[in-house]
Amino acid sequence: MPRWSALCGNCWAVVVDRRKLASALLVLTLSGALLMLPPFVMVFNQPISHFGVPQIVIYLFVVWLLLIGGTALLTHLLPREQPPNSGESD
Amino acid sequence: MLSADFVIATAVGYVCLLFVIAYFGDRRARTHQKSFLHSPAVYTLSISVYCTSWTFYGAVGNAARSGLEFLTIYLGPTLVFVGWWFLLRRLVRISHQQRITSLADLLSSRFGKSNRLAVLVTCIAVIGIAPYIALQLKAVTSSIQAVAGSSEFGQGSLKGIDDVGLALGVAAGMALFTILFGTRHVDAKEQHHGVVAAIAFEAVVKLTALVAVGVFIVFIGGGLEQIFSDAAAAGISVQSENTFDARWMTTLALSTAAIVCLPRQFQVTVVENSDENHLRVASWAFPAYMLLMSLFILPIAVFGLTKMPAGSNPDMFALTLPLAQGQDALALLAFIGGFSSATSMIILESIALSIMVSNHIIMPLILRFGSPSSGGQGVTNLLLFARRLSIVLILSLGFFYFFFTRDSNALAPIGLISFTAIAQFFPAVIAALFWRDASRKAVTAAIGAGFVFWVWCSFLPSFSSVSPQVALLLDQGPWGIGWLRPEAMFGLAGWDSLTHAAFWSLSANIVILTVGSLVTSPSALERLQASVFIDVFRQGHTTRGNFVPGSATANDLFFVAERVLGDRRAAALFETEARDAGVDPDMLEPSADFIGRLERELAGSIGAASAHVMLSKVVSGSDVSLEEMMQMADETQQVIEYSQQLEKTSAELRSTAQKLEEANTQLRELDSQKDEFLSQVSHEVRTPMTSIRSFSEILLDADDIDHGQRRQFVCTIHQESLRLTKLLDEILDLSALERGERTWQNAPINPELALDRALNVCEALLRQRNVSVERGKRAASALVEGDVDRLCQVYINLISNAVKYNDASHPVISVSSRMRTGHHLVEIADNGPGIATGERKLIFEKFSRGQRAAADQSGAGLGLAISRQIITRMNGTLELVQGPLPGACFRVRLPVLTGA
Repeated sequence: MPRWSALCGNCWAVVVDRRKLASALLVLTLSGALLMLPPFVMVFNQPISHFGVPQIVIYLFVVWLLLIGGTALLTHLLPREQPPNSGESD
Repeated sequence: MLSADFVIATAVGYVCLLFVIAYFGDRRARTHQKSFLHSPAVYTLSISVYCTSWTFYGAVGNAARSGLEFLTIYLGPTLVFVGWWFLLRRLVRISHQQRITSLADLLSSRFGKSNRLAVLVTCIAVIGIAPYIALQLKAVTSSIQAVAGSSEFGQGSLKGIDDVGLALGVAAGMALFTILFGTRHVDAKEQHHGVVAAIAFEAVVKLTALVAVGVFIVFIGGGLEQIFSDAAAAGISVQSENTFDARWMTTLALSTAAIVCLPRQFQVTVVENSDENHLRVASWAFPAYMLLMSLFILPIAVFGLTKMPAGSNPDMFALTLPLAQGQDALALLAFIGGFSSATSMIILESIALSIMVSNHIIMPLILRFGSPSSGGQGVTNLLLFARRLSIVLILSLGFFYFFFTRDSNALAPIGLISFTAIAQFFPAVIAALFWRDASRKAVTAAIGAGFVFWVWCSFLPSFSSVSPQVALLLDQGPWGIGWLRPEAMFGLAGWDSLTHAAFWSLSANIVILTVGSLVTSPSALERLQASVFIDVFRQGHTTRGNFVPGSATANDLFFVAERVLGDRRAAALFETEARDAGVDPDMLEPSADFIGRLERELAGSIGAASAHVMLSKVVSGSDVSLEEMMQMADETQQVIEYSQQLEKTSAELRSTAQKLEEANTQLRELDSQKDEFLSQVSHEVRTPMTSIRSFSEILLDADDIDHGQRRQFVCTIHQESLRLTKLLDEILDLSALERGERTWQNAPINPELALDRALNVCEALLRQRNVSVERGKRAASALVEGDVDRLCQVYINLISNAVKYNDASHPVISVSSRMRTGHHLVEIADNGPGIATGERKLIFEKFSRGQRAAADQSGAGLGLAISRQIITRMNGTLELVQGPLPGACFRVRLPVLTGA
């Protein structure tokens, strides 16, 4: 268990079990795909700019960043496992 | 100002630097098992070989031409890495276990070690990748030409050399470089640590270069907002209504498939992976790398479109923008970055493909035709030669594709042609990992059909600009058949050509794969491999070889191993096995496990299918016959039975040991009793003997004894002699009874009569001791088998015991008899002190006397032992039971004669 998850208390106790974490990773993958595909992506495809940058560009990069962050988080929480045959080395 | 000569010299210098890195990386990886080269960071950087010059140059061009579409090329792989737990982890685990060396090896191994499938996959990969290699050649050539064209003296020695000549030079250089790099030795795991080190270095260079150019552009453009507003003012918009159409989805799907199936990606992600846990870092770090790479692509493209003169090649913006701004150093960095991305792709792709070609096409051919040369290094050298030849072939194909399509402009569409070809493997890979029923025939047909559609709809149309025939074909279809037009199959006109090709090829692929698998049935080997692949994470699963030992000797196997693995590694392998088995290497008996391991080891060098073929030539028992299976099952059964028997025997032994221990305790007790008794006997013998001796001495010495006294003395001597005789008689009697020496005549007798006689005999004793006798119920007369005198002796003994040890103030004995379940029972009880619990077992033993009897000293302790012996001879029992009176109660049980 990472140090900060203890700080976070109960909210993470729910997801620390391995199978749920793996499921969460699957949900993250699928929702990532969903957010990148029409019709979802069409919602943000408007001729609007924020800080001079088109909204759709910001949207895609933010989704991308969230995916990276979410993966890092979930992977960090997932227990490490030692592959059984790793002893074979030459 | 930069000149072509200068950048070419820089490029050559850069390649030399890479070579040095690879050389030292190799050495370091060999000597240090835990060096940074085995770190997740290097692993992640090596995966970013995905970002080729397509990214460096092509993505900018793509962004300039089609807006956001370039992002899909990176979003698809991001999804695969986000879901690493499901696909990549499985691939890596399987490949480690099965010593998979390439995608072709993976598929062939999963589908029954089929070499035909491996050949098909290899051929499609080689042809499909040719446009991709051409893309890199084109990018490098264009970048050199861009530098050369930037000033009037920039051409230098390139004067008179056109694109084709330059590309040929680049291709030749790359081939030479890759051969020097990647084919120095054959490794069991096909890991090239040196190359990976160089690739990781190149990943850093290309990222630095692109980010540097990006930051510079944003800086001179006056910030992001300024760049985008300038572009909007010039009428250039990134956002468009129809960005997210079918093409967006297609490129996303294709890039998702490509990150798994591209030969070089499979090589770095799966084969070169040294630790499964590296995936944990790569899962977010590789998407982050791609995000950084694509961060500045849009600003560069937009700024280039705004500022550069119309008609300039948007693919080269990353290089031409710094050149146009007079930033030579930055331009040189950009050139090196682009060159890096191209070289890393070409090196790894051709290494990965050459492994496939040599393992799946050349090795099987050698195995089939002509025996391998008998030299120890024969196959190893042949393998290396085959790989070098493959590298030249692959780069030649790339060059020819470049040559034939040199008129086409953009980089990205060329890459997408390759992606479509490679995506044909994706359904098969998914089926291989997750679908047990997928069969070899269906997969082969599916990949084949997908490939045919790809050639027709995607590959062929790319030649339309150079070949009028192809252009005509596109326009009218073959022999004028309209519904076969490559870009409008079955009348599906009006689609974007990429979407069209991907749709038809992948649809055909998936339909044939699924339906085909449902109507065909996989072979036994396929089923076996399917469970190995699909149950890879199930605990306790051991991968066993498919060979049964017997016919193959260690010598034969060594001969094969030596030729493939080389002398040293083969010897090491066999010595380890011999050491583990604890035998001399010459005496090694190859076990099924060992042959299985050897097969995997060989598979690491020559692929699963070839290894299987090679070993089955030596091990004739490759096909397990039914008898062998039965025999194996029998042996197992026997082993199980034997172990059960052992268990039973050991349980018996345990109980016997316990019994022995009990017996031993009893013996010790008896022994001490006997010692005690012997001292008592000697004491008892000694007392009469002393009186006999002293009285006879008086009689001998003194003559003046009167007659009365003399008579009294002789009387005493006589009595004492009688006592001695009786004691000795009892001992003799008992030992004779025990040994069965005394002749014994069993005859039908009436025990009631014997009991009456005994009571009569004891009458005097009873009266003398003033004992009252309770005469209980008596049984009717019965007949038992026995000796009447002996039986009488037993009753007398029991009655006299009951009298003798009775210290009650009003001694009472009770005598009764009855019949029960065919037995005649006599019970003789008293109201004496009874027998202590601890003594109950011992009172029937020889020389044993109860505490009271021992104190009384009047008996020898043999009476009960003799009685029991007698009753035993009559097939009856004498036992101590709970009686009607407070003291002891003895029961004599004798079987009644039937019919009496």
